[in-house]
Amino acid sequence: MNPALKAWSFYARATKRWPALGALVPFIPVVALWWIVAAAGFFPRAFFPSPADVIRSFGDLVYKGILPEYLEDSVTRLAVGAAAGMAIGIPLGLLVGLSWKAHAALWPPLLFFQAIGDIAWLPILLIWFGFGLATMTFVIVYTVLFPVVLNTVLGVRSVPVELHRAALSLGASRPRILWEVVIPGALPNIITGLRNGLGYGWRALIAAEMIVGTSGVGFLMFDARRAGSVVEIVLGMIVLGILWYVVDAWVLAPIERATGERWGLVTR
Amino acid sequence: MKSLTIRDLSKTYFDAYAGAHVNAVRDVSLDVPAGEFVSVVGPSGCGKSTILNMVAGFIPPSSGEIRVGDRSVTGPGPDRGVVFQSFALFPWKTVLENVAFGPKMRGVARPERERIAREFLDLAGLGAAAGRYPNELSGGMQQRVGVARALANEPDVLLMDEPFASVDAQTRMTLQEELTRIWQERRPTVLFITHDVPEAVFLANRVVVLSKGRVLADVEVPLPRPRRWDPLVASDDFKDLSNKVLQLVRSA
Repeated sequence: MNPALKAWSFYARATKRWPALGALVPFIPVVALWWIVAAAGFFPRAFFPSPADVIRSFGDLVYKGILPEYLEDSVTRLAVGAAAGMAIGIPLGLLVGLSWKAHAALWPPLLFFQAIGDIAWLPILLIWFGFGLATMTFVIVYTVLFPVVLNTVLGVRSVPVELHRAALSLGASRPRILWEVVIPGALPNIITGLRNGLGYGWRALIAAEMIVGTSGVGFLMFDARRAGSVVEIVLGMIVLGILWYVVDAWVLAPIERATGERWGLVTR
Repeated sequence: MKSLTIRDLSKTYFDAYAGAHVNAVRDVSLDVPAGEFVSVVGPSGCGKSTILNMVAGFIPPSSGEIRVGDRSVTGPGPDRGVVFQSFALFPWKTVLENVAFGPKMRGVARPERERIAREFLDLAGLGAAAGRYPNELSGGMQQRVGVARALANEPDVLLMDEPFASVDAQTRMTLQEELTRIWQERRPTVLFITHDVPEAVFLANRVVVLSKGRVLADVEVPLPRPRRWDPLVASDDFKDLSNKVLQLVRSA
């Protein structure tokens, strides 16, 4: 066996045993390249910090308690906003997906307001609610809401008519069909909507924090710009990426494995 | 088990593509006495699936009447169990939960409905698959679940819409033999829709030939039971009956 193939099969076995390895190893070339460019000294260090600088800054901000506090603020805002967005979005999506009347009445406004993206609301929200939590919450809920609604509608529509008929001829009432057939059938799409919604919501939150600016990771980065600290800006960017990876790997992916993939509704 | 009575049933619908009204079913009258197995056979577009969908209550008739026992059909209901060509199993429920679905909707408590489900799974030869999800099963096994699910709800009439059309030929013959065995054990009233003439003859007490939405012929099948393919394919009685029905279908 040639050495490259040998190395690859070793890597495949290792990542199977320790999945975290598979998440970390692909970043080695990225960090290495970054390190080389920083060490080569093409740019002043204040403009282009090295990985070591960022790690030092990370330790510093954790030690001062700023990063944990801001991170907690951002994650809490996202969680609250996402929960509210789902609480409104899923029932609304079920209604629009199931009822022609609701569809006729609500679909055009849904498309209209979807187009007015999260950040486009900020100017008017700042006038109405000021620089505060209400503005940020509105932006996140708004951003999470539309992908959840639109994907829930799609999910409801994608449940084969035979499954409705089977449930009816087995004696199921309309409310039971909603619970036993429509919601599980729409679940893979609902999760896709949630995934998109959280992704967009996370970005919108960072943007809102930059402008509204009281706390949070977005505020940290924008504040660092004012102070001219590139190292903290880069740190903020890395934190965003890691956090999304964690949400995906620890929350969304396990739900998908236990539902749509298990049922054969989504190909692995 | 109750009888199924169909009187002067018609279905006309507007075909938007053709821009014309289509008479899918015209004045069909048909009786399935309690405990009898009737096959309806005919070429594609003869209206056989439309009839089944009206009997199941999935689509309303344009005119005529359908009765189960002495009750008029007005919509879908648990008195008519349906087995679908596409199986229509709930992918998010295990085999056991699928079969227990009807009793669950009736409000049967979990231990009792699981006992019922296991009984019908055993009847369909599926006891070992109870905990699996439908997508983990072959097509033939999925349709066994479909049959068990319909029977576990103890319907008055069993409606089967080309149930074996999407499984391979060997599996189909096994399923047909199993269905005749189950029918003999339980004696449900069955309306079986198919385009496969030997299948229609093999399974039924009577074969109704449909053509262009009308009943063309009603043929008795006096073949002895239990029926198995091995002796039957070679028997003259079976060949003669199949040929007779095939001629009728081809003349349609």
